[in-house]
Amino acid sequence: MKKFFAVIKREYLQRVRTKFFVVTTLVGPLMFALFGIVPLYIARMNIGGPTRLAVIDQSGKVYDRFREALLQTVDEDEDDELDGERADPNQQEQMQRKPSFGRTHFEVELVPSSGRPLEELKRELNERVRRNELDGYVVIPADILSDGKAEFFGRNTGDIFTRGAVADRLTRAVREERLAENKIDQQVLREAGRRVSLASTKISSRGEERVSGTGLMFVLSFGVLIYVSVMLYGQMVLAAVLEEKETRIAEVLFSSMRSFPLMMGKLIGVSMVALTQLTIWGLAFLLFAAFGVGMAAAQGVPVNLPHVSPLIVVYFLLFFLMGYFIYATIYALIGSMVTTTQEGGQLAMPIVLMLVAGFYFLFPIIRSPNSPLAFWASMFPFLAPITMMVRITTETPPAWQIFLSLAIGFATVVGLVWLTARVYRVGMLMYGKKASIPEVWRWVKQA
Amino acid sequence: MTDETKPTLVLDHVTKRYGDFTAVDDLSLQVRPGRVFGLIGPNGAGKTTTIRMIVNITVPDSGRIELFGQAMETRLQDRIGYLPEERGLYRKMKVGEQLKFFAELKDVSGKEADERINRWLNKMELSDWKTKRTKDLSKGMQQKVQFITAVIHNPDLLILDEPFSGLDPVNVELMKETILENKREGKTIILSTHQMEIAEKLCDDVCMINHAKKVLDGRLREIRRSFSRNAVALQIAGGDGLLHDKSLVVNVRQNGDDTEVLLAPGVDAQILLKRLVEAGAVVNKFELAEPSLHDIFIEKVREAS
Repeated sequence: MKKFFAVIKREYLQRVRTKFFVVTTLVGPLMFALFGIVPLYIARMNIGGPTRLAVIDQSGKVYDRFREALLQTVDEDEDDELDGERADPNQQEQMQRKPSFGRTHFEVELVPSSGRPLEELKRELNERVRRNELDGYVVIPADILSDGKAEFFGRNTGDIFTRGAVADRLTRAVREERLAENKIDQQVLREAGRRVSLASTKISSRGEERVSGTGLMFVLSFGVLIYVSVMLYGQMVLAAVLEEKETRIAEVLFSSMRSFPLMMGKLIGVSMVALTQLTIWGLAFLLFAAFGVGMAAAQGVPVNLPHVSPLIVVYFLLFFLMGYFIYATIYALIGSMVTTTQEGGQLAMPIVLMLVAGFYFLFPIIRSPNSPLAFWASMFPFLAPITMMVRITTETPPAWQIFLSLAIGFATVVGLVWLTARVYRVGMLMYGKKASIPEVWRWVKQA
Repeated sequence: MTDETKPTLVLDHVTKRYGDFTAVDDLSLQVRPGRVFGLIGPNGAGKTTTIRMIVNITVPDSGRIELFGQAMETRLQDRIGYLPEERGLYRKMKVGEQLKFFAELKDVSGKEADERINRWLNKMELSDWKTKRTKDLSKGMQQKVQFITAVIHNPDLLILDEPFSGLDPVNVELMKETILENKREGKTIILSTHQMEIAEKLCDDVCMINHAKKVLDGRLREIRRSFSRNAVALQIAGGDGLLHDKSLVVNVRQNGDDTEVLLAPGVDAQILLKRLVEAGAVVNKFELAEPSLHDIFIEKVREAS
């Protein structure tokens, strides 16, 4: 046991004290901010001011409504507009204050046809577009109301935001015009078309519970978190296992202790490094979040904190550890077979993708969280971290299932470490040779 | 040396195979306490595999290994100090921390470990390097650090695989002295080396293996005597003609200043001396030559192939 702790201590201290660790730990949160928030802003930025649009309205009926729709700057979701009377003043305020990134602004002008043929008008407009006086133009044919087809010409038809917005606003304008032609009062129709709001209440063993609706997002980010951690630290585990092989320290180690506690010690030591870093990052993130929430609250914006029960947090941590360890151990196992980290990384990749495969089961499980498929998927250790978390957040399965899944998972880790230790021990005796799978199998039996 | 003394280590008909390849074939040997035991043999003879079985890195396919009177097991590893042929130290670790880690692996920790580390670093003239990273040390220094890891826990059995490679003459002497010191303290030492001159000086007993099999085993002195081939080392002036008399001398070889002659079967050295004097040669040196371990080694390896 003493030796086991000596290995953990060495693995941990040697790594935590490196400059690399200190720097990445400090820079990490900054990088999150940089890569998480900045691209979001950049993607939503609409550089170059409003989009200048000309409209040829051959029907002569749609332009006014189209223009109105295009110039509307408030949220385009009709339901929200209609819900105005229900919304409290705070929410309305919040809506108006929403940043306008990503929403396309338009400057609209009507091109008077004055009896000239369409071709001539288009030529003129094309010229203006070329001279950069316009960004594009829309041709609304005379039979738009019945045919429902219009054309958009623009410099940049790849700009899906603008195209989408134009199509969307034009649809609205045409729809309203059609209704008006049929003498249907818009107010009546809007009232009739109002959406039903469906509030969901989850019935669990503990009685009724309001669902925050964040379940899916929660599970997705959970999966991403495991995936990213494995990607970040798997290589570290791989390198740790290879270290003694490359420097041939293994021989001394094996003459001092058994290979299983050695491998277990390495895995735990390196994983503690990973968890230390993740904890620091997590706390930094919470601090940022708390700060952000505080700022928002100070401005009078009501913040709906997602409701997460403490039990879910415990499950989250347990399944995160399980997921992390299962995949980190795979890196260790591969490390015991190969001679260089590059080789190991390539070999590990397809297996780590199994984690992603857990997402394939997402929707079947959400639809019927207690089906046999859901059950077995959440018992299979390589999928369980994701699938069981989905089940827990949708319809919490009986406790025995959760613990069985955890037990299987951690037993798998121990089994994999055992296998790793065997392969490593024999592999160490074969110098600088990459092992084939049959060879590895022989080693396992031989050791 | 009495037979009543319990051997430190016993290998009893030990065999180890890797697939079709037999690395060690039916090897039996005994290492007696307080002696330096030389394990010699050409490359690939099975020395390293034998050592690995002794330190419990691998397990024999058949046969029995007994250490300190007990069947081999993990717990006994703490009583062995092992300097493997291929050295390995953590390159980025500081020398002091490195030694502390290896001491802990051998169940020596805390103050006890610190004291021993300081004592050994001092002895190996490495005290100034304690806080330096291992990769900044010269090869010879790393070698000495590795040696300390093998002795830090004061083992009863010390196994040294090529301990002199990479050392300069001064450090070779230091290493020899340290090995003999351990012997004086009653430690048992197994020495595996290619350097026959050193083995000759240090070893009490020798076991030679070739092609996985033991070819020679016993006290070094007795082995040498048994290999005595009726040879004489000479330094003479004149009388050269006699050396070409095939009824007298079978083979003549120049070895430095010495002329080594192998006498014909049945010819006594005294007869050669007498004939030389009669022939008017000036005899500066006339010595009955025992074969060196080197010669025995070569002869045995040739014999096998």
